Amino acid sequence: MSDRRLMRSLRTAFGVRRSPLRRAAGWLDENLGGGSSLLRQELRHIFPDSWAFFLGEIALYCFIVLVVTGIYLALFFHASQAPVVYHGSYKPLVGVPMSDAYSSVLDLSLNVRAGLLVRQVHHWAALVFVAALMIHLLRMFFTGAYRRPRRINWLIGVSLLMLVGVNGLMGYSLPDDLLSGTGLRIAYSITESIPFVGPTLASLMFGGQFPTSGVIARIYPVHIFLLPAAIAGLLGLHLGILWLQRHTEFPGPGRDDRTIVGTPMVPAYALRTTGYLMLVAGVLTAFGGLLQINPVWLYGPYTPWDSTTSAQPDWYMGWLEGAVRLFPGWDLQIGGFLLPAVFWPAVILPGLIFTPLFLWPWLDGMALRDGGFHNVLTLPSERPGRAAIGAGFVAFLTVLLVAGGDDVFASAFGLSLPILLRTLQVLVIVLPPIVALFTYVVVRRRAERWLATGR
Amino acid sequence: MEVEDNAVSEREVGVPGAPPVPGGGSPPGWPAAVGLLATLVGAVGFVVAFVTNAGTAWLGGSLAAALLGLGVALAYWGRDLAGDEVISGPYPAPHDDAPGAAALGDDLEQSAHVITRRRFLSKFLVAGVGVFALSQVVILGALGPRPRRSLFVTAWRRGSRLVTSDGEPVTRDVLAAGGTLVAFPEGHTDAADSQIALFHFIGGELKPQPGRETWSPEGFVAYSRICTHVGCAVAQYMDEAKMLACPCHQSTFDLLHGARPVAGPARRPLPQLPLAIDARGYLVAQRDFTEPVGPGFWDAG
Repeated sequence: MSDRRLMRSLRTAFGVRRSPLRRAAGWLDENLGGGSSLLRQELRHIFPDSWAFFLGEIALYCFIVLVVTGIYLALFFHASQAPVVYHGSYKPLVGVPMSDAYSSVLDLSLNVRAGLLVRQVHHWAALVFVAALMIHLLRMFFTGAYRRPRRINWLIGVSLLMLVGVNGLMGYSLPDDLLSGTGLRIAYSITESIPFVGPTLASLMFGGQFPTSGVIARIYPVHIFLLPAAIAGLLGLHLGILWLQRHTEFPGPGRDDRTIVGTPMVPAYALRTTGYLMLVAGVLTAFGGLLQINPVWLYGPYTPWDSTTSAQPDWYMGWLEGAVRLFPGWDLQIGGFLLPAVFWPAVILPGLIFTPLFLWPWLDGMALRDGGFHNVLTLPSERPGRAAIGAGFVAFLTVLLVAGGDDVFASAFGLSLPILLRTLQVLVIVLPPIVALFTYVVVRRRAERWLATGR
Repeated sequence: MEVEDNAVSEREVGVPGAPPVPGGGSPPGWPAAVGLLATLVGAVGFVVAFVTNAGTAWLGGSLAAALLGLGVALAYWGRDLAGDEVISGPYPAPHDDAPGAAALGDDLEQSAHVITRRRFLSKFLVAGVGVFALSQVVILGALGPRPRRSLFVTAWRRGSRLVTSDGEPVTRDVLAAGGTLVAFPEGHTDAADSQIALFHFIGGELKPQPGRETWSPEGFVAYSRICTHVGCAVAQYMDEAKMLACPCHQSTFDLLHGARPVAGPARRPLPQLPLAIDARGYLVAQRDFTEPVGPGFWDAG
């Protein structure tokens, strides 16, 4: 105590009246144009507290990890399909002709120090990113966080999910290994299936008829610049709107649609969320260091005359893969033209899923006749209908996800693939309504009991 | 109507189990200290692992320990502080309740009126901007050639010799009964759309499709190797069943009956290449495929 008093009297004696912190804050406040109180006010920005609000933060921090690791990878990756013959350190592929891109991924994985760690962290971060976005979206859905005035942020969020998924697919395609090339081949064929414009569109996207020699060079700037810039911009908008509107809160004492209760940003929230950033980065680094993912050297380079069994996309594309596998081969001949069956599961289905997802805040508002202004969340049990629709939707996607690995499941559990396929075809139609109905009944009963007994 | 006070009003509200501590902030305690220790050890460990090139697990493990330690310390500390200080304030008011809500609409309508007052010019502006935006679509044309006939033809010509991927011509003696190999048209071993799977079935096993009786001389039969579902290489030969399967989505084709699909999502058979055997015993194509190879598209009907 006496030290501090001494310091203070020394400062006064030498005319240093304000600590560096005070001076910095004053300078910032003045130059941000907020007069004397903007910074003070914003530093005390209130964040309501719940474990569920951490989900979006996980997604945000995954994006930061992806950018950092991606920059490191970009220093070593060659976005070129120029043919080379491998003479690197991985013996089984020595002498094998391959693309410069694949060869550079082998080098950065096997020869560059920490290269494999960074690549695996990058891949894990992408997988966790999409998972965090999806769970974040489900949290929004089940608690009604998308209602007025947060409908724009719902639209931004769903757009982010789409962009992140697409960019993940792009990243998966870059190494030009056998799996990624097969994925591109399928993407080309799906584009080709679109009526009238399909073949032209596919040619414009890939720069010609598959396989083209320039597609990696074309995907690269999209993957590392175009889509990340779009994602960063939308994330900024998402957070900016969140900042202006304040975060939603769960019902509780002292809380209502006009009053927010929570932790101030400085010091507690800032300290804690920086900690969460480190935790997310730490977990992803542990995954990348200890759990092998996408060992591209085992797959070999892509050639159009090879393909492999148990070929799987990354998990977040599994539902699409599953839909392609489950949908029957209903090719349609229409007056001399052909509508390939794959058009329905691969082009129409994503539209059928994302369109209502985008429109959900309005659909929900109309169904419940509730266009009101909400800052307090609802508990899932308060809206049995909403919970039922959400649960049915999750069941639908889960069956598709399982179907995406049907050959793997069949061989792992010794099942007959055709029987498994038929079972899943039935389940994908039957299970979602059953799950929805079951959820509705259970949630409804709970709500009634709660109303009756208060428990 | 009440005018909302914009300043954040701060007041302490009671939180059960976490009474406010005067002066704010209790000591971080041992978990944070342990976390920070892990950060120090992890950071040093990472440098050592990097310098000694110790491998991915050591690099990742040490870096993860450092990050997780720091994360635990900060998150724990932050939680600790959060328990001390719970504040409340107003949410921004709904638009309709805001004092300037009506004025905003008035202002905008007035601005719009200033522009649309010049009727011709404002319509000209819309037309000009629209035409300009549309005109830029032509740039997309530079991204790739129009497919035109390229999807309907392959590199196979009348008399093209079948060669292996090494360029070795295929004679009737190369392939034993029941065997298979991948072949290309001579001079085009890099033509992905021209790859075929060649089979040799003897003893009348092969049931040529109507109109294709002359396409499989001496039991040699060739099919396009690109799946008609979504284009993977149909690479899995099940020699006992005489089936060819696609590893991607498990479409399965019956080789003895014109490669018709018998399982999986593919609906169209693999196109068959009409074969002949020339005077010197080389396998050659009679002509190109009679239908487009690979996955379906609009004009292929």
